[in-house]
Amino acid sequence: MPNPLIDDRTLDFVLHDVVGLDSLLALPRFAEHDRAVCDATIDSVRRYSREVLFPAYRLLDAEPPVLREGRALVHPRLQEIWPGLRDLGLISAGRSTEIGGQQLPFLVTLAAILHVQAANCPLYSFLGLTTGAAHLIEAFGSPALKERYLAPLLEGTWTGTMALTEPQAGSSLADIETRATPSGDHYLVSGSKIFISGGDHDLTENIVHMVLARIEGAPAGVKGISLFLVPKMRPDGGRLAPNDVKVAGLIHKIGWRGLPAAALNFGEEGDCHGWLVGEPHRGLAAMFQMMNEARLVIGGSGVATASVAYQESLAYARSRPQGRPLANRDASSPQVPITEHADVRRMLLRQKAIVEGGLALLLQCARLSDLAGHGEGEAKARSQLLLDLLTPVAKSFPAEKGFEANVLAMQVHGGYGYSSEHLPEAWLRDQKLNSIHEGTTGIQGLDLLGRKVMVEKGAALRILGEEVAATCARAAKAGVDPAWIAAVGETGKKVGALTGELARRGQERGGEAMLLHSADYLDLFSSWVVAWQWLEMAAAAREALADGRTPGAFYEGKLAAAQHWIRTEMPKVDALITVCHEGEESYRTVPDEGF
Amino acid sequence: MNHIVCLAYVPDTETKIKIGADGKSIDESDVKWIVSPYDEYALEEAIKTKETKGGTVTVVTFGPAKADVGLRECLARGANEAVRIAADGLAQVDSLGVAKLLAAAIKPMPFDVLWLGNKGVGTDAQTLVPMLAEFLDLPHVNLVTKLEWKDGAVTCWREIEGAKEVVETPLPALIAAQKGLNEPRYASLKGIMAAKKKTIAVKTPADLGVDVAAVSGDKAAVRWTKLELPPARQAVKLIPADDPAKAAEELLRLLRDEAKVL
Repeated sequence: MPNPLIDDRTLDFVLHDVVGLDSLLALPRFAEHDRAVCDATIDSVRRYSREVLFPAYRLLDAEPPVLREGRALVHPRLQEIWPGLRDLGLISAGRSTEIGGQQLPFLVTLAAILHVQAANCPLYSFLGLTTGAAHLIEAFGSPALKERYLAPLLEGTWTGTMALTEPQAGSSLADIETRATPSGDHYLVSGSKIFISGGDHDLTENIVHMVLARIEGAPAGVKGISLFLVPKMRPDGGRLAPNDVKVAGLIHKIGWRGLPAAALNFGEEGDCHGWLVGEPHRGLAAMFQMMNEARLVIGGSGVATASVAYQESLAYARSRPQGRPLANRDASSPQVPITEHADVRRMLLRQKAIVEGGLALLLQCARLSDLAGHGEGEAKARSQLLLDLLTPVAKSFPAEKGFEANVLAMQVHGGYGYSSEHLPEAWLRDQKLNSIHEGTTGIQGLDLLGRKVMVEKGAALRILGEEVAATCARAAKAGVDPAWIAAVGETGKKVGALTGELARRGQERGGEAMLLHSADYLDLFSSWVVAWQWLEMAAAAREALADGRTPGAFYEGKLAAAQHWIRTEMPKVDALITVCHEGEESYRTVPDEGF
Repeated sequence: MNHIVCLAYVPDTETKIKIGADGKSIDESDVKWIVSPYDEYALEEAIKTKETKGGTVTVVTFGPAKADVGLRECLARGANEAVRIAADGLAQVDSLGVAKLLAAAIKPMPFDVLWLGNKGVGTDAQTLVPMLAEFLDLPHVNLVTKLEWKDGAVTCWREIEGAKEVVETPLPALIAAQKGLNEPRYASLKGIMAAKKKTIAVKTPADLGVDVAAVSGDKAAVRWTKLELPPARQAVKLIPADDPAKAAEELLRLLRDEAKVL
């Protein structure tokens, strides 16, 4: 059986029994949709991903885009695929019907997108970056910019990018140097950007870059950054004219090789036109709308890349006879599939716990995004706070633990996994990027501890505590093992206490002391949050079994994975809490020469 | 040009078929249902032709209420209307009965081309196409992989063993699609939303004037008495190749004595 990419039944279970898609469909924004439409949407993208995108994955990985005469050329197979990929309608799926979208919940769109990412992870970026660029123009652009740029972007006849990073300014956007000088109804933009995904290609006639730059005389730091729309080709009297955006080179990446990543020079000849989007000096705040959406999508890539590898290793393990049970000394007896060996079972169940735990967390965040955007009253504000808190976790957990899962998928394949004849090595390369782009894991740790848990005197963390308590109550009622419930509940109290302690440390000794172990804090916080999701899934599985739903093994599998995650991870959280509490200082105090 | 496409809603070809408790039907509890892949080629060609020459595409199926999911998928891809002949609660109807029901539904509808896949992947035993053509008194061309439209006629390239046969038929005609005719499109999100707003016309056998009792259950021409899964594949037997002559002898012995093909 071909790789399913994402397990159908698990996705259905998470959407309906865990996250509760039906409650979202009751919102006025989504009144036109019902479950049948949501199912049909996911199913169409699923089929396309399995039948068209997945078979092309290895080819596009083996033969990345090339630079010819200043233009990035994608693989001919991608040229064939693009019209079908574009016409699925994912770019505009979540946008309002007034501007040509389908007004689907982000929860449904993301569930569909996961299949594209699992089948051929780099290709979704062409769509996702375009969605993000169009959303920025819709939210902050002038009427003239909307009139000119929205339709071709939403239809996918043009694509979009986000152009933030510069050679000397990656994570530190405060240090960008690209300049914008007023010139009539536009600005003249000059500067260099690097690692621009989809920054150049030959799939569409135009590419719309959303560029961060400084207006001449702007204040230093992030308060002097503005957002500009800079097209590769600028509309000029009914035709498209070159806009002085040059490709300086393509990055030779180890993964995501179907997607060109370019170094771009803007205004080499002093003729690069850009148009201000939103208020001057407010560009970073605007861009963060795109970044926050992008971070959840990158979380999706982490889940999807771990999922496709998990499914591959599971199928391999079931079909690979090797060795005999330890108690069987009869060398003439048939070999057993490696799924019968305890260590292989460990590797498979751990992958499952990471993949499905990450999936549940990600889809919870998508639901919160829908409620924050289109909910009403207190639920709207509450959802926004909780989403902000969980976004760094939803971005980094699938990347970091997903990488571990990808390693396990390779390990299950043994020597074959280390060869390029099998796919796990490619997914391992792809997964690594997810802990680097759209804010490294280090940045996510700083964001979580330095900003998100501290906001409004810990309001978001209190809301999360209430959500966890509600899950514990549901689990207790469903008959989930009380030891699991206690472990999640008690860990939550310890995380809360540690957070308070670190906040006090920050007040007394400054941010450096508070954030010294932000990476460990992100790690332990993420493990606990995912344990919360596994408790929710355990409750849903118990309820399903009590209702006599079948197949029983499916729900037993959920309980086993919940047990694995909660019973093996919560003790590790305790150890990390101790490290944070003690403020272990080795890497702070080691002299530079001592490395 | 107006098109009617008959389609079957069948178990996904990836489904692991299990036999039901009665031993003569399949266990449907874990089955995913899809539009038969060969019918998808027929639908795609009808929609493509509509897009270039105008007209409408109507999809028709015989099936239970769950087949509406398949019909909506066809509407999302570009079909204009959908008709379902309700099979809910009926005993097993064989291909002859299905052909009679489809013919009764299609007869009053104006069309230029009636499309089918050359086979379902369910229980049709590849017999539906000629029977339906006979009941509707239509010329039919099966296993079509290429078409060329003319005024009031169509030239069809059809697969025959080791060659292609080129035939021309006047319209209206029944054309049955073979793999290779086209690459079926996927439903777009916009199409899915548009399909939601369309109505599926549901007709019962009685509405069509067909006495279903006479073509189903014990009265069907084909009755299922027992279902068996194919035997499990045997493990591969490797013949040591150290001595080619001995290996050839061993191969001959196995083919003769064990496989019994010589």
